[in-house]
Amino acid sequence: MRIIRLIAFPILAVVAVAQQLPVQEHTLDNGMRILLLPRKGSANIAAGWVARVGSVNERPGITGISHLFEHMMFKGTNAVGTRNAAEDAKLNLELDKLKGELRKEEAELARRLRLGEITDVKDPKVRTARHQELLGQFEIVTKRQSELIVKNEFDRLYTGQGASGMNAGTSEDYTVYFINLPTNRLELWFWMESDRLLNPVFREFYTERDVVMEERRMRTDSTPTGRYTEQFNSLFWKSSPYGWPVVGWPTDIDAISREEANAYFGTYYAPNNLTATLVGDFDPAVAMELAKKYFGRLKRGTVPPPAVVTTETPQVGEQRMSASAETTPEALIRFHSVADGHVDEPALNVLASLMNDRTGRLFKSLVLEQQVANMAFARQDSRKYEGFVEFRGMAKPGKTPEDVEKGIYKELEKLQTELVPDRELEKVKNNLAAANFRRAQSDFNLLLNILINDASRSWRSLNTDPPLLQAVTSADIQRVAKKYLKPENRNVLILYRKGAN
Amino acid sequence: MRRLLLLVAVCTVVAALHAAEIPSHPRELKYPALKYDPPRAADYRHKLATGGTAYLVEDHELPLVNISVLVRTGRYLEPAEKAGLTSLVGSQMRAGGTKSKPPAVFDEEAAFLAAQISAGIGDTEAQAQVNCLVRTVDSCLALFFDMLQNPGFAEDRLKLAKSQALQGMQRRNDDTAGIEGREFARLMRGQFFTTVPSTKVSIEAITREDLIAFHEQYFYPANFTFAISGDFNGKEMMAKLDKALAKWPNRPALVSSVPKPSFTPKPGVYLVDKKDVNQGRVRMGHLGTTLSNPDHLAIEAMNGILGGAGFTSRIMSRVRSDEGLAYSAGSVFPSGRYYDGVFSAMFQSKSPTVAQAISIVIEEIDRMRKEKVKPEELATEINSSTEQLSRRFATARQKAAQFADDDYEKLPEDYWQKYRDRLRALTPEEMQRVAQKYLQPGNLVILAVGNVDAMLKGNPDKPQYQLTKFGNMERIPLPDPLTMVYPKP
Repeated sequence: MRIIRLIAFPILAVVAVAQQLPVQEHTLDNGMRILLLPRKGSANIAAGWVARVGSVNERPGITGISHLFEHMMFKGTNAVGTRNAAEDAKLNLELDKLKGELRKEEAELARRLRLGEITDVKDPKVRTARHQELLGQFEIVTKRQSELIVKNEFDRLYTGQGASGMNAGTSEDYTVYFINLPTNRLELWFWMESDRLLNPVFREFYTERDVVMEERRMRTDSTPTGRYTEQFNSLFWKSSPYGWPVVGWPTDIDAISREEANAYFGTYYAPNNLTATLVGDFDPAVAMELAKKYFGRLKRGTVPPPAVVTTETPQVGEQRMSASAETTPEALIRFHSVADGHVDEPALNVLASLMNDRTGRLFKSLVLEQQVANMAFARQDSRKYEGFVEFRGMAKPGKTPEDVEKGIYKELEKLQTELVPDRELEKVKNNLAAANFRRAQSDFNLLLNILINDASRSWRSLNTDPPLLQAVTSADIQRVAKKYLKPENRNVLILYRKGAN
Repeated sequence: MRRLLLLVAVCTVVAALHAAEIPSHPRELKYPALKYDPPRAADYRHKLATGGTAYLVEDHELPLVNISVLVRTGRYLEPAEKAGLTSLVGSQMRAGGTKSKPPAVFDEEAAFLAAQISAGIGDTEAQAQVNCLVRTVDSCLALFFDMLQNPGFAEDRLKLAKSQALQGMQRRNDDTAGIEGREFARLMRGQFFTTVPSTKVSIEAITREDLIAFHEQYFYPANFTFAISGDFNGKEMMAKLDKALAKWPNRPALVSSVPKPSFTPKPGVYLVDKKDVNQGRVRMGHLGTTLSNPDHLAIEAMNGILGGAGFTSRIMSRVRSDEGLAYSAGSVFPSGRYYDGVFSAMFQSKSPTVAQAISIVIEEIDRMRKEKVKPEELATEINSSTEQLSRRFATARQKAAQFADDDYEKLPEDYWQKYRDRLRALTPEEMQRVAQKYLQPGNLVILAVGNVDAMLKGNPDKPQYQLTKFGNMERIPLPDPLTMVYPKP
């Protein structure tokens, strides 16, 4: 990697540098993108790939499938994870058939629940004899398959070779898989990742959704604010697919079938929808040879991933939600704004930065001057298809969330009526410029940045966006403040402490 | 050093790759040997004129400088009636300005320079850091040392911090994760400096003078260990440090040692009721040992096989992959630096299946004692640790931080040089020996936080699993979050 210093000559700037990442970009014949960023010295490689698919590509009935998939991708292949691939495949079919029969029984229970005839579909007493018998058979076949499974072999093969931090993440827009490797184990990564893209077997397809349900309980149901923010998110997005949670609605997680999973994989995990990236200590020529040899085996998808059709319908009036939760009273104010890469995005990002940190406007105004809040933040969240800008503050004891809300409006109005002073703007730009260097302190951090950006516009936005931030003017900030921070574009979440007066 | 050059190897022809077939299983892959020797701290160590130590690791790739200082002090030196003092000293060193610069002035200067400055005090150490751009390094160092030597502890910022602390206290019973951590620590340590909670009274009793006195007592040059990395010249940096520290009142480093707990945990099942959640959080364990125990590496490897190595470990395999009872499940067995560490296994499972998952974890703890681990399990665990050694020292910043930590913790000088050989000498017999000696499945404290009625009711499909089967049962009520007085059950 080489760092090119671009001097922009701002008058007050102490940081007149930007960093250009010299990523080497390649595309295989099957459409898969390969991005390489060699850095010498650490004896390690951060490796990963991203599928340009997330919950935004789902539809009602299969919400959560992108995330369930992320889990299924660790279950092995024809070669990894089983002692007998043929027998294993047969048992998968048997399980699917039994599950089909069970679904009929479950549908009947759902009908009776709908009519109020029963209150708990999980109660063994409401099951028919046939239902109970199917459950017994399902358990027996699961056990037989379990005896063939080489448990977590996918993980074990990596761990035993000194790889670490193997994990994956699913968002609204992308699904990313990553790991750290000793520099001499590069070929193992190509073998393992191409194998699971070439011959995946979705073993433990039904027990794994119990794991996903536990994940949902842990992140959403059993945290103080998880259920409230989920409801607010669904209120905020009226028509956009961003309205359902990444983890999915519980009914859908349970209902996803193997046919739906296979179709999803064929469309979105085709090489033409993927980018692989290496950052660290490796020879790029060797890496490209390995990429051709291993990822070159993947077949281009027969149908291109369908476009995301449904966009957010413009909001015509303010929406409010209030609730009592076991948490500090707070106000969250969220406005529809712009998608990643929109011409107004840099100004909105600078606007949010002006509000943050211990010299930011929210801290100075709400915490120090008005004394209505103890903490406050802002952020612009630019997703692939839509975005929002939000402001949030925790009420100081003795103050209400409404006091915080009013305090925030005062600051938003100031953004609309007064130009930001030069030195304040310069301060924020200095920090944004320094962040370009700071993010490069870790190979793994760079890897994630490259992959996530390549799933949206291109990794190149890492090089092209920083100068746009530096070019933002006070007038730009005033303009976007007027354009987006309007009452009819506003959504407000007010949380009170449960049990308090 | 991590100087980056455009690779000259672009035109290397890798003909051998074309010829090779793709093997049917990765065990057939052949790898070039990894030549790696961990760096030696002595090569980076410098003595400061004022008595402390500095580890300097130069790295000119990015125009950044990181300076971090460890200070021998900690929460253990805090009087119980002023619980919360050390946390405030740490946060207010950064937030309260300096003697010559009010907070607003100090913060604006740091922000304009894009300097990241922080300070904090933990259980057994204090740490302060600055990360800055190389062209502003002198201004940033001046701010950093001004904070370190002359914190202002401004009254209005202290008042705000106390208000924030009270607000934090009010959240004490909101989140089951927080309750789990707090109550498990109390069950393991009883009354100990790590479990004395701050209260409204103790926070209100803390004055600005207390902060000043605590800072004066422990922040002086001989008590500092520096970790410095980034884009600088070593000689020049040492001169800068010596100059910054020279006028500081100094004295020999003498800080009283960390106390040892005397509490004996009482085995049994402890339940905390949170009605509004559908998942129980479980932590179960007992006391362990110290880093000075020669068995500590064997214990670490044994725990890796049991529950410390993610998906590869047994607890994860059984609780998550086989049974789908949890998203995260595992165990930790850290050996303590100053006193015995704590072994604990943990998971989160829907209320009805909590008992079943506990039972599986106990089975796996038992199995570590009863059976020898398979040679391939041990080989995976050893290889994983030895091959990952280089990751501890991957960047200049990590190197400097590791050296400073090891110095602070008085780790033997050749610890990392001998580390891999010591791991490779481990045997399945050794694993069973340490499992039998250090795992005590009959002595477990089992804490479950969640909807108690639903956890007790269990799973109607698997009535054989009952919470009542794991020993004496006791309910822990939720304390008043501001006084930390627990109501009588």
